[in-house]
Amino acid sequence: MPPRIRSSKFASLPRPTPSQSSSARPQSITQNTQPSRQFSQTSCQQATLRRRKFYEWLNGPGKQLKEPLPDSTNYLGAYDRYGNLVRAGPGYQRGAAKPQAEGESKLTETTNKAAAPTEEAKTPEGQESLDELESAARKEEVEKKDAEQDDSKLPPETAEDLRPFPLNQYFRSQSVLSEDLREAIYQRVKRDGATVSLASVEFGVSNERVGAVVRLKQMEKEWIAQGKTLAVPYSKAVLNMLPTTPHIDTTDPKNKGKRPIVHEPINDLIVHPATRQQLWVPVAESRHFTREDAGKAFDNSLLPADERIPHPELVKAERELASGLSFEERRKLAEERFAVETAQKKREEEAREAEIRAQKVVPQRRWDFVFKDISVESAGRNGRDVRGVGWRYGLPHQDRKKGQVKIPTKVEA
Amino acid sequence: MVLRIRLSRFGKKHAPFYNIVLTHARTARNSRPLEVLGTYNPIPQPPRPGDTHGRPWKDIKLDMSRARYWVGVGAQPSDTAWRLLSMVGILEPQYRISKIQGQVTKADSAAKSLIPETPITPPAEAEVTQEQKVEA
Repeated sequence: MPPRIRSSKFASLPRPTPSQSSSARPQSITQNTQPSRQFSQTSCQQATLRRRKFYEWLNGPGKQLKEPLPDSTNYLGAYDRYGNLVRAGPGYQRGAAKPQAEGESKLTETTNKAAAPTEEAKTPEGQESLDELESAARKEEVEKKDAEQDDSKLPPETAEDLRPFPLNQYFRSQSVLSEDLREAIYQRVKRDGATVSLASVEFGVSNERVGAVVRLKQMEKEWIAQGKTLAVPYSKAVLNMLPTTPHIDTTDPKNKGKRPIVHEPINDLIVHPATRQQLWVPVAESRHFTREDAGKAFDNSLLPADERIPHPELVKAERELASGLSFEERRKLAEERFAVETAQKKREEEAREAEIRAQKVVPQRRWDFVFKDISVESAGRNGRDVRGVGWRYGLPHQDRKKGQVKIPTKVEA
Repeated sequence: MVLRIRLSRFGKKHAPFYNIVLTHARTARNSRPLEVLGTYNPIPQPPRPGDTHGRPWKDIKLDMSRARYWVGVGAQPSDTAWRLLSMVGILEPQYRISKIQGQVTKADSAAKSLIPETPITPPAEAEVTQEQKVEA
């Protein structure tokens, strides 16, 4: 077992003498002179094999992990047994001569990119020709090749670098949303009023994740408004060491011809618990057995798979395309669908607002008293109607009955 | 018999919940009332999501027209029920903070006029000034 390092023992680590090095950090971690007993000042004489191995590793291969590479993961799987970065070329040296080279390359890149938009005419968004997309893709490939040829430059991460556990080579760490992308999703939904499913399609992020991002961002903004301090350095440090999905702003002329990076597959069919059993349903040959019937075979209230997928509208659009409708016709249909959806949303919103307006709020010293007007008649003639308000008389409680769920099933966030 | 508008306690231990009821005055608290006018949840609810500077709130459901009718025909609200009904303007508030404060000051001044204040303050002030001088 490696020794437990107590905080008081860090003080006993040897400090570099001022003449020895310019950097403040010690170049290697030496085995600290640990006292043999807590009350004793004499150092521990026996250095076990394991302890020696541990310190060998700390000063050898493990040394690379102490300072994470900028814009890269910091996983064990990226290094071989001797502490060499697997993906690095033979000419690559960490820290040495990198800043100048990178600075130069960045400069050239920025000049290239700055020059590019001026050449291209400003066409409205969404009317990019296939040629432009192709040329952009080709440009990216060329850039990649350049990076590969340059030995001193660090190549981009490969699958090897996404393995945090060297013994489990099948585990790959999945990328998370970058800060820019999360902000963009929030703005698209909150400011532009896009529906969650639309934002999901545009950014290639699943419906649930879009909802979570919007809720968390909302909370974050509220906290900022309340003057709470956020753990920004922590989140930055963690995000720096994780693979992230960057945000590609297609409205930006710099990103002309690029497509937003898809974060995850968005239209996967969720496995419904009712469909986990195997069924043997004999069907007459003459019968037309559709997916709808298949859904009903599992459960009478189960919708067909076509309606249970997160984005049925994408399938509809594809079907229209396959049926040979012209662009104008398809657009008209899509707009009609969108109008129906927005009308529904508006109706719900208005109903909610009307409910709030019907309430009478009386602010008092510590809390608001919110009065909702109800009708006594709703309790019905015998006073036992479910629409009646208040605790019922003469009805026993159901809460000790079998099968009553007491764990909250939803959280107001 | 006197009709009363009062609260009857339901809910569990440490989780009170009240029905605002119209009953005969001499019936038991939780017995079946003539009418359930509404409910009162005295546990403050946390501010609603999306409400940045929101305040906690208490949920009250009340059939206002019915309550107004019963008060009109002579139902007598209890103190707590009076407080709730006065918030929606069905009744005049029974107690006002300013009114009570006025009563307190009036009683205070009356007491002072009866018993004249003993002059204790001058010696205390003198001590203080001496201390200040020593410090200086």
